[in-house]
Amino acid sequence: MNKEVSPGSIKNLPNPGLGLGLRSKHFNYILENNPEIDWFEIISENFMDSGGRPKHVLRRIAERYPVAMHGVSLSIGSADELNIEYLKKLKNLAAEINPLWISDHLCWTGINNLNSHDLLPLPLNEESLKHACRKINKAQDFLERPLVFENPSTYLTFKLSTISEWDFLRFMTEETNCGILLDVNNVYVSAFNNDFDAAHYIEQLPHESIVQMHIAGHRNCGDYIIDTHDNFVAPEVWKLFSRAWNLTGGAAVLLEWDSEIPDFDAYHSELLKAKNFMNVVTDIQEFNEEKKYQFEVVSNPLDFLVTDVIHELNR
Amino acid sequence: MPTDAQSELAQIQNWMQSFLISPEPNPVKAADFINDSSRLSAARHLNIYRQSYIARLRECMKNQFSALNYALGEELFQMFAEQYLDAYPSNSYTLNNLGKNFPSYLEETRPDAESEEKESWIDFIIALANFEFSLSEIFDEHAEEEIVLADDSAPDEALKLVRVFHLFQHPYPVCRYYLDVVKKKNPELPFEENTWCAVTRCHYRLGLLEINPAQYFFLEKLRRGLSVEEAKIYTIRKFSLDPKKFENLWYMWRKSFIDSNFFHYK
Ligand SMILES: [Fe+2]
Repeated sequence: MNKEVSPGSIKNLPNPGLGLGLRSKHFNYILENNPEIDWFEIISENFMDSGGRPKHVLRRIAERYPVAMHGVSLSIGSADELNIEYLKKLKNLAAEINPLWISDHLCWTGINNLNSHDLLPLPLNEESLKHACRKINKAQDFLERPLVFENPSTYLTFKLSTISEWDFLRFMTEETNCGILLDVNNVYVSAFNNDFDAAHYIEQLPHESIVQMHIAGHRNCGDYIIDTHDNFVAPEVWKLFSRAWNLTGGAAVLLEWDSEIPDFDAYHSELLKAKNFMNVVTDIQEFNEEKKYQFEVVSNPLDFLVTDVIHELNR
Repeated sequence: MPTDAQSELAQIQNWMQSFLISPEPNPVKAADFINDSSRLSAARHLNIYRQSYIARLRECMKNQFSALNYALGEELFQMFAEQYLDAYPSNSYTLNNLGKNFPSYLEETRPDAESEEKESWIDFIIALANFEFSLSEIFDEHAEEEIVLADDSAPDEALKLVRVFHLFQHPYPVCRYYLDVVKKKNPELPFEENTWCAVTRCHYRLGLLEINPAQYFFLEKLRRGLSVEEAKIYTIRKFSLDPKKFENLWYMWRKSFIDSNFFHYK
């Protein structure tokens, strides 16, 4: 059991309400209009090295809004050890903006010090569970705070896996007192791609450990679904969200939109739809599979993480 | 397969990563490690990751090198970017460094590497790649920006270069070409021409200005910490100028430098 992190600390985290991802496209709008958003989620890696405008804007936004730090490079499931330089920068950023919490993904991003910049799936078994828990404890000790882990969207399963993902997440919370970021869209995507029941997944999770939920859009490519974050939330995902809301008794909600990002008002109004799916009874059985097939789509788009200097010059 | 000393987890991650990052023929088949599903074979499941890996990072490269993408054309740029990503996979937690080695990769793999006669368009492409990567670094470099910019009333003694200030010289009009791409003027590949430019950042906005060689020399002296008075003396000496005539020239330089936000108050 982890000594530094008190067992109740995840449960003491606040529920800030409905939040949006902070994207550079919306910087000016937010600074000028102070929109009524409960909180923002930032991608930690976008700001931890920044000495220019991104950091400057973040400081001003963190003065006005609660902010959670969401990372993509912790690589908790990698056989590699933790990157201490990375953790130091994460800790420094947290000291500066005092986030609601720090989250990352149940995944690995690379091995032998390489980074695919993708959220890769783990074989889920005793060995990987032990390994991940050891690294989570170490990272939490270093950061002196509990971490929150998100279920990634997955496109394959391993023959070596012996534990279901929902049980794996439960064991993680039991062993390390970490929290869960339930990405409802990812559950839907992974369930479709890997033949499991999305509703069952959500029902089996340890609901008391769910700190936050993600909702997002995806694309159906016919015989698989890609988690594109470039679209409205699908009706089936709203239904799952509604179910998760009831089971958890409510958690912080965040709408992700990373590619073909709409203007701020459109992004915000898609988020507000979540209110229609809270505390309502939905029949989770009646799923209609989408029939709009899309090809040539990319999962977890990244280009929004790279500065487009030409865009900045035209600003 | 790797030895027993390596954990099962490390083995499977090494195998999967080598498939994603440098997909060479691998004796271990997807079906050995990965399940088929009701709709897809193990190989197709794995392929989703390879396709996404390359497509996502190629998009990042395109964002980091937009002008280069324009200069080479989408098809050629993508080919170079894909080969580069296979040769120099990322080893950083941040994507900001993704294109760091791209200019040197282009240099190493230039098609005329073996021949005596160098093709000049390739030199231009490499210079543009270097310049573009530098701009992305300058945009986000650490610097205090709480400064008061100088205006026309500032005496020479009070002028100090802004904290983010970089000078470049190129054997091609790289800065002009870049600005033309920014302004969507569809520039043609340029001919050889020595050019000089200054890149500044003030109040978090980048500024690019083409300058002449004497201005470059003068500004370089300021960048090294000399005062305006000292830099003027060096410039007069270097270019054998008449000090009186130089005062007129300085009057015009000063105005254009102040207009371009080069100076703040000491
Ligand atoms: Fe997510």
